[in-house]
Amino acid sequence: MSLPESMSRVVIVGNRSRLDEVIEAIYKLGVVHLIDYTNDSDEGFTIGAPLSYSSEASERLLKIRAAEKDLSIRPKKVKTQESYSDIEAKISSGEVENVESIVIGAVDERNKVAQKITELEAKKADLAVLSKLPLKLEDYDGYQSLAVFVGTVKDDCSAKVAAVANTEVFVSVDKKEVRTPIAVFVANAQKEEVSAILSEAGYVELNVPEGTGMPADAMSQTEADIAANEKSLEECNEKIAQLSEQYKSFIAASDDLLAERVRKGETPLRIATTDYSYVIDGWVPKADLQKLQDGIQEQFGDSVLVDVQEEERGRGLHEEEHAEPRFKTAPTKYNNGVYAKHYEYPVSLISTPKYQEIDPSFVISIFFPMFFGFMVGDLAYAIPFICLGAYGLRHAKSKDFRAIATVFFYGGIWAAIFGFFFFGEMLGMHFAGDYDEMTNITWEHLLGVNLPDWFESIMVYNAHHGTEHYGITKIGAATVGFLLKVSVFIGIVHILVSYLIGFLNVNRQHNFKEAMLEKGGWMFSVVGVTVLCYAMSQMLFSHKDLEGTLLYLLIAGVVILIAGVALCFPKEKVQAILDLPGIVGNILSYTRLAAIGMSKAGMALAFNYIAITILGGSGVVGIIFGALVFVVGHLMIWFLAIISAGLHGLRLQYVESMNKFFVGGGVEYAPLKTTSKHLVNSLNNSNIEKTEA
Amino acid sequence: MVDTVGYGLIAIGAGIAVGITGLGAGLAERDVGAAAVGAITEDVSLFGKAMVLMVLPETIVIFGLVVAILAMVMISIPTA
Repeated sequence: MSLPESMSRVVIVGNRSRLDEVIEAIYKLGVVHLIDYTNDSDEGFTIGAPLSYSSEASERLLKIRAAEKDLSIRPKKVKTQESYSDIEAKISSGEVENVESIVIGAVDERNKVAQKITELEAKKADLAVLSKLPLKLEDYDGYQSLAVFVGTVKDDCSAKVAAVANTEVFVSVDKKEVRTPIAVFVANAQKEEVSAILSEAGYVELNVPEGTGMPADAMSQTEADIAANEKSLEECNEKIAQLSEQYKSFIAASDDLLAERVRKGETPLRIATTDYSYVIDGWVPKADLQKLQDGIQEQFGDSVLVDVQEEERGRGLHEEEHAEPRFKTAPTKYNNGVYAKHYEYPVSLISTPKYQEIDPSFVISIFFPMFFGFMVGDLAYAIPFICLGAYGLRHAKSKDFRAIATVFFYGGIWAAIFGFFFFGEMLGMHFAGDYDEMTNITWEHLLGVNLPDWFESIMVYNAHHGTEHYGITKIGAATVGFLLKVSVFIGIVHILVSYLIGFLNVNRQHNFKEAMLEKGGWMFSVVGVTVLCYAMSQMLFSHKDLEGTLLYLLIAGVVILIAGVALCFPKEKVQAILDLPGIVGNILSYTRLAAIGMSKAGMALAFNYIAITILGGSGVVGIIFGALVFVVGHLMIWFLAIISAGLHGLRLQYVESMNKFFVGGGVEYAPLKTTSKHLVNSLNNSNIEKTEA
Repeated sequence: MVDTVGYGLIAIGAGIAVGITGLGAGLAERDVGAAAVGAITEDVSLFGKAMVLMVLPETIVIFGLVVAILAMVMISIPTA
């Protein structure tokens, strides 16, 4: 059972003039989880001011981020390693500003060209309308006594306009077009009259482009202009792509460097300072305490003091209660081996474990893959799970995918173990055993081979009603009860383990008595309910008489149950009795292990039956169609297995198990440290940083 | 003939057990699910807790499935 790592609380004190170096050293050591200073915690202290280089670094970071956006660079995707000192030197010599101006220049140029193209497109559209009228561009303006209306109307009103005195109308009527181009030349005196007619017809004015000659000629000129501009737009894009390629390495690396520098520069905002000194409070894993002390001692000698305030924060809750508010919560640093580490993610989805409680990752790592494997329970379905899982564990980066890959891989292994040894199944068919066309198609029969005896003998043997099976039949009438019982037993064990962990937690946080009252009582209740239910089911369903062992079992069950309720009662009051049916529900909830396995086996049986019937039928079409049903059917079952087995397996952990002991609400251990992906040698840079500052 | 009718009734019973519990679970999950999606949109870190609440009613349908399987066992024919 894994408790989070033990934490010590330290305070680092020194002369303010060397604060920047100390912060640098703390980042380099990467073990201090900073405790934020709040302004009124101690008299005489104030929050520190950002380090001198901080504001310049954040300005440059902004520029770099803008350049990233313009060049569509995603630093996470950039695979590069730059030397810290190189990037450092480049940034100092103004490379960031240089890149910024180059990028802005290129982007501006592209925007200008894009703008020009938009304008030309608009001009082309106008000219397209004008080209339908028999007039030259210069005909449309330059009159003193005439008013000119050029545009489009919804309804053809040329006759009405022409009826007005002193007008000349040009119109191009095309039934296919929604709007009709129109040009009206009218004496100034009749201007209002024409205007009224036009607006009634839905007139929209059109800007006549400058120029001379027929609009059609101007249009082809405009098209040529557009083509030329599009070519230069392409060139601009190429140039930007080139810039992106050229600078992505520098940009990604300097993003890392500057972001780190901003973080460091703003660290004083979280610590207490006076005019001449600073005080840094922090949590350090007990195992790393020596490393911190040695590291600081080596670099600063006696001028910086690392004082241990708490050698080790205990797991008793009273320690937390008596601490000062900002020192109350010790951070949780997961303490799992290589295997259980993969299951920290599902725990963190609920909440971070408290410092004082057992981290459930360990329990999940044992039961979750096992449940998953039991529900899948088929050798053929297991293999793709294992392959996908192995591939995911090797290549996946994101936390979500890694968690899924973990379940696939280890769950797949369990599925293979259960599928082969326990169920003796592949694709819903047993390897060996007595053949039955409907309920028990075997590989032995299907392939017409005789499997060796040793092969059969490593599977669970199972005989009933005179038929023999190797491996437990998931949906045989004789084995259903057995599988349900197995599920229930697994459930009882899982629930008891959960209560036991809860017991250990409370025992550690308070004392034995408290643990007995809070969790021990429930453990008794679970055992009592189980024994009682067993005895009653024997009586009711198996019709056994209430005598001998059964009677003693019944009495024992009642006694244990009463003891459990009595233990719980002081804490839980009536809840201790009201929750008893809940225990039965929780235990029966594990029957899903068998039920989901059965539902999948049922589907497999149906698909196999259909496919084999078709295959045995008529010729090539039968073979193709049968194979199709077989493949699609089993793929569907496999996909459903991900959802049902995965989700239900997880649910049993979350609801049935973790609810019994997990409290959560802890603070995750997040030490100050350098996290750059694109920089090498970043750990030996303290002196470079200093000169820059 | 009588047996056949009896078997049929058992099979119908099994179907009803799964069907009705499925409806029940669905009705319960409808409300929980809608609220859960709303909560997750506001704060992604609630995903785990939301999922726990979301799958709580699922147990009902599992009970139905188990009852159906047990009913089908009564007629000793394969359950699917």
